[in-house]
Amino acid sequence: MISATDLRLTFGKGTPLENPALRGMSLTVNQGEFVTVIGSNGAGKSTFLNALAGEVLVDSGQIIVDNLDVTKLPTHKRAGRVARVFQDPLAGTCEGLSIEENLALAIKRGQRRGLTSAVKKQYMEKFRDSLSSLNLGLEKRLGDKMGLLSGGQRQAVSLLMASLTPSSILLLDEHTAALDPKTAAFVLELTTKIIEEQKLTALMVTHSMKQALEVGSRTVMLHQGQVVFDIAGKDREGLEVKDLLGLFEKQRGLEVDDDSLLLG
Amino acid sequence: MLSNIALYGAIETGLIYGLVAFGIYLSFRVLDFPDLTVDGSFPLGAAVAAVLIIEGWNPWLATGCAVMAGMAAGAVTALLNVKLNILNLLASILTMIALYSVNLRIMGRPNVALLTEETVLTPWYDLDLAYHQVPVLLFVIVVFVALILLWRFMKSETGLAMRATGANARMARAQGIATGAMIVLGVAVSNGLVGLAGALFAQSQGAADVTMGVGVIVIGLASLIGGEAVVTPSTVVRALIACVVGAIIYRLAIAFALNADFLGLQAQDLNLITAVLVTLAIVLPGVRSSIAGKLSRSKA
Repeated sequence: MISATDLRLTFGKGTPLENPALRGMSLTVNQGEFVTVIGSNGAGKSTFLNALAGEVLVDSGQIIVDNLDVTKLPTHKRAGRVARVFQDPLAGTCEGLSIEENLALAIKRGQRRGLTSAVKKQYMEKFRDSLSSLNLGLEKRLGDKMGLLSGGQRQAVSLLMASLTPSSILLLDEHTAALDPKTAAFVLELTTKIIEEQKLTALMVTHSMKQALEVGSRTVMLHQGQVVFDIAGKDREGLEVKDLLGLFEKQRGLEVDDDSLLLG
Repeated sequence: MLSNIALYGAIETGLIYGLVAFGIYLSFRVLDFPDLTVDGSFPLGAAVAAVLIIEGWNPWLATGCAVMAGMAAGAVTALLNVKLNILNLLASILTMIALYSVNLRIMGRPNVALLTEETVLTPWYDLDLAYHQVPVLLFVIVVFVALILLWRFMKSETGLAMRATGANARMARAQGIATGAMIVLGVAVSNGLVGLAGALFAQSQGAADVTMGVGVIVIGLASLIGGEAVVTPSTVVRALIACVVGAIIYRLAIAFALNADFLGLQAQDLNLITAVLVTLAIVLPGVRSSIAGKLSRSKA
């Protein structure tokens, strides 16, 4: 279980560019839940994900991952519990290393690394099995450099790498946004398949409201660094994009009212 | 043409600079960390080894201490960068400058002669070999051992983590790799190799001198880049072989240039020749591929 409580984070504090990215953000994700996160630009989606991953440390608030307070831990000390796929298909893998070397890096995520050979024979079967599930023929190209693969292929491998070892939560940061529509659909399908098969707890940020409703079991909308609505189960069933837009506008309208009240 | 002695001499120094090139490969290529500490850690290794040998230490033990001293210098540079957030290039310049004083302190004077002392080379002169062939034989063995150890390390879990740190730090962190610790370890090992090179250089040349580090970084880079132009560094082992090949080619090129009377070059032209060779090594691969590109286009 992941719980984030009252997270606050301001970038460039005390400068003219001061930007409060998280303003009391709270969210609890239960074991096995697949949450989709939407919100406009600057709503705090990426900052929230970065805060969970440890890439940024929050000013205040608390983040607990499976009973461990990780609020102050740097990224690499959380990595055993938090798996991640980036938006940029080139960011999740090392292009200068071979496919098997990338997978070997991922299979030791969050564990001690010693001086024994990194690419071990006993990994090979697991590597081939998981790569063949992609149907891209990559299981025959284990020794090829990652840089020879297309963006979509690399994102698919990133996804495999994130799910190669167990994690408390899988963070997906608009991981289909930089791909062409066909490849994006393939990677999304792969995502839901892996999450279902391995019963993973996942948090997926997306720009597409349609995508946010199609996959996962719960949808959360962020606005100005806070959760503005959170729907799951029956309320979420049959919901369409226009309903979501309605909800969003209602919320924004309320915000404006609040502001005018304050200013008036 | 080159005399036999000049030829073996060039190979001998080439092998020593091969070790420097290993270190520079580790910092510049693997970690993407432009490290100029080497200009200080090379004479540091020489100074530590020379002083300890004069104190009567076993020369191999003294050489081992030179490696440790080099590693410590590298660790200081890396810590300045990782812990104090000083730009990597500047951090290395700071350590390099500081080492000048440290080296003078260690030696107590600007240079220490080793001509009459027992060095790592002494027992090898009993072999039935010409005087100028002995260092080449010993250094071939040292470089070979260093190459195998580095290659195995790069293929290990920790080595792979280090390569990921230099190639994609964000991804490395997400995989649970302590990137700061990897930079400290890598730059330390890099300067340990350079310290070893300095220690061997002092013993084969018969002296340690505080100015012997000037331009080591450029020679190391020349070896690295030149080697990469000759041996395509598509795998770790090829990249390491490229370092040695590049260093030997570089020393041979220098020896030929200085021996070719028609060029009229003299020993004091060494740094000028070095700069020209480095420029050529950097520019030529680009020229070659652009010519290849034009040729294939004209064919199509």
